[in-house]
Amino acid sequence: MKKSIPWIIKYRPKRVEDVVNQEKAKELLIPWIKKWLSGNPPEKKGALLWGPPGVGKTSLVEAICNEYNLEKIELNASDFRRKKDIERIALVAATKRPLPPKKGRIVLLDEVDGLSPRGDEGAISAILELLEKARNPIIMTANDPWGQHLRPIRERVLMVEFKRIPKTKALPYLMKICESEGIYCEKQALAYIWEKNKGDLRACINDMQAIAEAYGKITLDLAKALVVERDRTLTPWEMLQHLFYAKYFWQAKKAVTSTDLDYDTLFLWIAENVPKQYGDDPEDLWRAMEALSRADVYYGRIKRRMNWSLLPYYFEMLGPGVALAKEKYHKRARWSYPEKITLLAKTKEQRRIREELATLLSLTQHVSKSYAKAEIIPLLKFIAQHNPQYFARLALGLRLTDEMIKFLAGKEYRTVIRIKEKLLKEMEEEAKIRAAREAKEYLERKALEVVEEEKVEKWEEKKEEKAEKVEKREKKERKREERRGGLTLLDFLNKKK
Amino acid sequence: MSSAYEMLWAEKYRPKTLDEIVDQEEIVARLKKFVEEKNVPHMLFAGPPGTGKTTAALALAHDLYGENYRQYLLELNASDERGIDVIRTKVKEFARSRTPPNVPFKIVLLDEADNMTADAQQALRRLMELYSATTRFILIANFPSKIIEPIQSRCAYFRFKPLPKDKVVERLMYICKNEGVQCEKEALEEIYELSEGDMRKAINILQAAAALGKVTVDAVYKAIGYAHPAEIREVITKALNGNFMEASKHLRKLMLEYGLSGVDVIKSIHKEIMSNNLKIDDRLRVLIADYAGEVQFRMTEGADDEIQLQAFLAKLALLGPRFKSA
Repeated sequence: MKKSIPWIIKYRPKRVEDVVNQEKAKELLIPWIKKWLSGNPPEKKGALLWGPPGVGKTSLVEAICNEYNLEKIELNASDFRRKKDIERIALVAATKRPLPPKKGRIVLLDEVDGLSPRGDEGAISAILELLEKARNPIIMTANDPWGQHLRPIRERVLMVEFKRIPKTKALPYLMKICESEGIYCEKQALAYIWEKNKGDLRACINDMQAIAEAYGKITLDLAKALVVERDRTLTPWEMLQHLFYAKYFWQAKKAVTSTDLDYDTLFLWIAENVPKQYGDDPEDLWRAMEALSRADVYYGRIKRRMNWSLLPYYFEMLGPGVALAKEKYHKRARWSYPEKITLLAKTKEQRRIREELATLLSLTQHVSKSYAKAEIIPLLKFIAQHNPQYFARLALGLRLTDEMIKFLAGKEYRTVIRIKEKLLKEMEEEAKIRAAREAKEYLERKALEVVEEEKVEKWEEKKEEKAEKVEKREKKERKREERRGGLTLLDFLNKKK
Repeated sequence: MSSAYEMLWAEKYRPKTLDEIVDQEEIVARLKKFVEEKNVPHMLFAGPPGTGKTTAALALAHDLYGENYRQYLLELNASDERGIDVIRTKVKEFARSRTPPNVPFKIVLLDEADNMTADAQQALRRLMELYSATTRFILIANFPSKIIEPIQSRCAYFRFKPLPKDKVVERLMYICKNEGVQCEKEALEEIYELSEGDMRKAINILQAAAALGKVTVDAVYKAIGYAHPAEIREVITKALNGNFMEASKHLRKLMLEYGLSGVDVIKSIHKEIMSNNLKIDDRLRVLIADYAGEVQFRMTEGADDEIQLQAFLAKLALLGPRFKSA
């Protein structure tokens, strides 16, 4: 089969009216473009098109270029990370007139939310400069324009929101593509693909093409087998950025479901940084902590009962629950790596010792481990600090290991061990004296036993001598019999006895 | 304190036989009757901590089986055993083991039974029935009302009362004499007040105070510091002042350094909030108590105790300043 061009390019809207269901956005953007074209540029030199991926932001820009005969100069986030790049390309593009027959130019900066607040500060100031000097419309796109670092841009541009495309609008559109390709297609399959891609039209079309090219048809079974949910992997820092500045439920949920982190670590990242981000407002902080608390309850239920069907609720509390807890704007805080992970690694050894100590105490003192930890261990620590001498004795009595002693005594460790060893030595010496005494007693007892044994031996020797005599006599008799050449009846009877 | 080996006094002075138990006369009399008849029903020992429940159970086993009673007694702690399945396995194994020579049953002692969920208790009830031919259960609980009806109705119920002041002081005095430790009577009385009729706690405080030398009122006050209410109070105060960050840092220290479980902490917090040491508006007390209860419940369902406690501190940080300004 001939490798065809991507449907996503083939079926790209040619005219503004072909862009599906973004009437509000068009109402804002078209008049703005027309102002540019009329030679009477609008006050705001830039427009920021924002909304979920695959709903037609870039497509609308392309349709406009096509319809109004404009040249599109496109830069991706990866192209404009450095101030120099933007200056070189964009400034030239924004100021010079295009070659005929094009009537004008549009500069498109794609995915500006991909700029990092720390590393790409230069790029942001370059964009601001661009907006100052622009003599052509500057259009930017973003999924999440709410980062603190994008605020200067937000203030200087026309904000144009793109909504998710409803199923009723999306499905006929997808169906039309199938018809023009002449491919058999089940309606439920398209619904399923749409569902999995959460309204991302571009992703839907890519999935359809993938199935159609491999199997020549699109059925529900094939869709179920082949379509996987797209997870663009976010770094933990990106995840926090997307989460804390999410405006919508879906944005926040996407943020927490788009990382490589395992569920525990993901939770720790968010739990670590919620207080930092919301710390300046007790109300917002509490609502976010409450959401985390609920998320943890779902997670506990999932783990305890292996009930993974509860997982969506966990993500919804962790993501949207936290993101929508804010009622006011919080500027970006200094986020950090979860301290708990570092601490748990550092204290692992201590926790193991404490656990063993609690087990030992619970067995000997008839209490629960948690009682041992809450009551007895602190008691022992207190005694160790204030009376190492006495504690050393307790350590012996309770059969504490040296590492347990170290755990309890802290600074006093050496003192306690010294005393303990001294005590042990004393006990050893006592034991030696006792052993010596016992050995002496034993020897005395043994001496008596030797006398007894000698008597027994003499008696046994005599017995042996007797036995030998009997044997000799029997031998003599046997020889006599042989000489006689047989047994007499009497001999026979005797022998049988 | 002359021998090289020392013991914890709470264990050293735990009565070994029913005869040695000085208080709880009615209970002891009934238990002695069981020993005489060599017939013990399932039993539920309920009462506040440190009133002799475990001691009575151990002494009963001792009197029934003699010095080697340990091999005919299975001691379990519901809050340590991970779930009813572990308990079931241990009981099953134990029920199969050797039977005692003169008594037709062995004893399973299940401490802190009121910490079990209702579901686990239902499973426990079936266990009790399944092995009733060879084993008797003694359940120990602080709050008998948390034991489900079907278990309560199968058990002989013994209610342990808090020990009276004179009995506690007398016992402390006896221990001091025996250990050759000098003590002031007021100091022992103070210990009683601080331990609220909990004999084990009283003896623990006594031993801590004795480690300082003489048991004086001062020593007792110094010794009481071995437990952490002071630190718990600090966490609460910080949170109530609206300082969530500091409070939660301190909380983490308590949990990681002392290894306190979330339930330990919330219980201590609750105790602290109910005590008169904390000067707060009673209406605030109500709100906090409610949320503390909710948090404790969520800990039984959740995965990470610390986050539940942090949520609690966030609530304090929200409510505290409001009541201060009002």
